[in-house]
Amino acid sequence: MSKPESNNHIAVKAEKLTRRFGDFTAVNSIDLQVQKGEIFGFLGANGAGKTTAIRMLCGLLRPSEGEAWIEGLPVSKSAEKIKRRIGYMSQKFSLYNDLKVWENLEFYGGIYGLSKSEIESASDIMLARLQLAEYRNTMTVELPLGFKQRLALGCAIPHNPGIILLDEPTSGVDPIARRKFWDLIYELAESGTTIFVTTHYMDEAEYCSRVSIMVHGKIVALDTPRELKKQQKVTTMQDVFLKLVES
Amino acid sequence: MQIIRYLVIKEFRQIFRDHMMARIIILIPFVQLLILGYAVNTDLKNVKTAIVDQDHTPQSRQLIKSMYASDLFLPAKSDVTPDNLEDRLGSDQVDLILWIPRGYAEAQSRHQSAQVGVFLDGRNSSIAGRAGGYTLGILRQENQRLLENSTLNASAFSLPIGRITATTRFFYNPDLTSRDYMIPGIVALIVTIITAFLTGMAVVKEKEVGTLEQLMVTPITPLQLIAGKTIPFLILGMIELTFATLFAVLYFKLPFTGSILLLFLGALLYIMVTLSVGVFASAVSRTQQQAMFTVWFFLVYGILTSGFFYPLENMPAFVQYLTYINPLRYFLPILRGLFLKGVGFFDIWDEYAALLTLGILFFSAAVIRFKKTVE
Ligand SMILES: Nc1ncnc2c1ncn2[C@@H]1O[C@H](COP(=O)(O)OP(=O)(O)OP(=O)(O)O)[C@@H](O)[C@H]1O
Ligand SMILES: [Mg+2]
Repeated sequence: MSKPESNNHIAVKAEKLTRRFGDFTAVNSIDLQVQKGEIFGFLGANGAGKTTAIRMLCGLLRPSEGEAWIEGLPVSKSAEKIKRRIGYMSQKFSLYNDLKVWENLEFYGGIYGLSKSEIESASDIMLARLQLAEYRNTMTVELPLGFKQRLALGCAIPHNPGIILLDEPTSGVDPIARRKFWDLIYELAESGTTIFVTTHYMDEAEYCSRVSIMVHGKIVALDTPRELKKQQKVTTMQDVFLKLVES
Repeated sequence: MQIIRYLVIKEFRQIFRDHMMARIIILIPFVQLLILGYAVNTDLKNVKTAIVDQDHTPQSRQLIKSMYASDLFLPAKSDVTPDNLEDRLGSDQVDLILWIPRGYAEAQSRHQSAQVGVFLDGRNSSIAGRAGGYTLGILRQENQRLLENSTLNASAFSLPIGRITATTRFFYNPDLTSRDYMIPGIVALIVTIITAFLTGMAVVKEKEVGTLEQLMVTPITPLQLIAGKTIPFLILGMIELTFATLFAVLYFKLPFTGSILLLFLGALLYIMVTLSVGVFASAVSRTQQQAMFTVWFFLVYGILTSGFFYPLENMPAFVQYLTYINPLRYFLPILRGLFLKGVGFFDIWDEYAALLTLGILFFSAAVIRFKKTVE
């Protein structure tokens, strides 16, 4: 096995990553490597263990076994350094509903150590990019869900991280809002950012460079959407998913 | 430092945007003090009064007449002598005893001060306190009348030479747990509630909503987070303290006899402990309710073992040991001392030292427990 430090084109890596809750194994010895600049789709049914795995990658949860690396840094030992290199948007995305839109951006900018002037210019750019400029002074609680999801993304990345991990960022919104969100993801990926994203929407899986499919804590398939469809002899990711999850 | 500043700004925005919260913070001191003030402020009437007159002179009879002139003091049906004063006060037949010893009139005629005694049942503290006050007021009037009538002392008005000296004694409750005595306690409670409860809730709220998880992937350290969460409530606690003190002095006419600096120093040390309790509670709780109950537990323990209601000396020995780690046990004497007794730093420095020690202990425990939670 090659040393992780030498693979500097690898953004995220996991080896035998395992997490148990009591007798129950939520994540069962998964291996994966995500290349820099990839959009990596992390698929799985409800309760498959996606959130548990992604939290271990971010350093929010200690693995029971195995190790994860972010840009070659072992998560267990370099948690503080890693925090500056990743942006994480949790499934229960974390905005302050009682703050205004710009106040959320200002807060997270401040937390990441941006100066006052940096925050101001970055917030303006971010609001424009998120198409939220006119909602600048709106109370976050009043935003429609799709807008909140975009704002949550903006709040997760004021420090321009190289890797963004998104846990079901588009659940529960209409196709237009999802389209807008994925436009943002593409934009970020084009500028070289690595995207690690979990989703239940199979049309979104089609947009990914590569996807993995998780069933009961194990990764049962990992390849490009095209290759997976060929292997399973079907025409859509939907069918790939159903075949793998039901077997 | 900048991170802490942004945390504090955010916290204040949230507090003041929540109108309920803002109202609570502003109203709590006034409402609590008012409720307490009026609860204790019972009307004074028909105080069962016995007068032991051993002088039997026109002068002593004049004093008795003045005493019974209003319906404040009602003659008690009881045989009181200087020997059974305490017994009679304990029997509930008598609330107040005025003792005019032999020589009352003679002392006056020789332009000396005549001695009288006022004895009260301190168990009903508010009545005792106020009845004692009225009695002294009547004696003062008598004094003035005597001075004005005196041919020797034409300018006696300006001379503070009294003709009657009263010795007042409270039986059964010598510290007189009256309103004056309770109000500093309420001030302490208000400060406790604002700091311990609100800190605990504010941290757990982030757990509930999920923002704590988001903060955990940012470069914030646990200490910065604790600072960002406690500084706002330290500031609010100090503001509450100022409000409550002003209210006590301006509305309830409590004297404030100590130094303001000592008041704030004591509060700072005390709040360090209560904030730590809040942080600790938030670390062991998953919901705001759990945090509330945890803080509530500390609060009840704190009140019961502080001497707020019961004198500490009357507690069983093992309970007395429990009181030593109670910050209120030290903060209460500081407040009462500063309000009522005009104490200086050297009278109460050991209370400050105890609070500082507790502050360091509690804060360390809270930080350790909090780190365990977020890691
Ligand atoms: N802290 C925990 N304690 C016990 N069990 C847990 C804990 N966290 C997760 N689990 C269990 O682990 C399993 C995987 O959960 P996880 O949240 O990772 O699934 P998921 O793939 O993200 O599901 P979803 O699509 O619903 O978000 C579930 O059965 C869940 O009940
Ligand atoms: Mg999940």
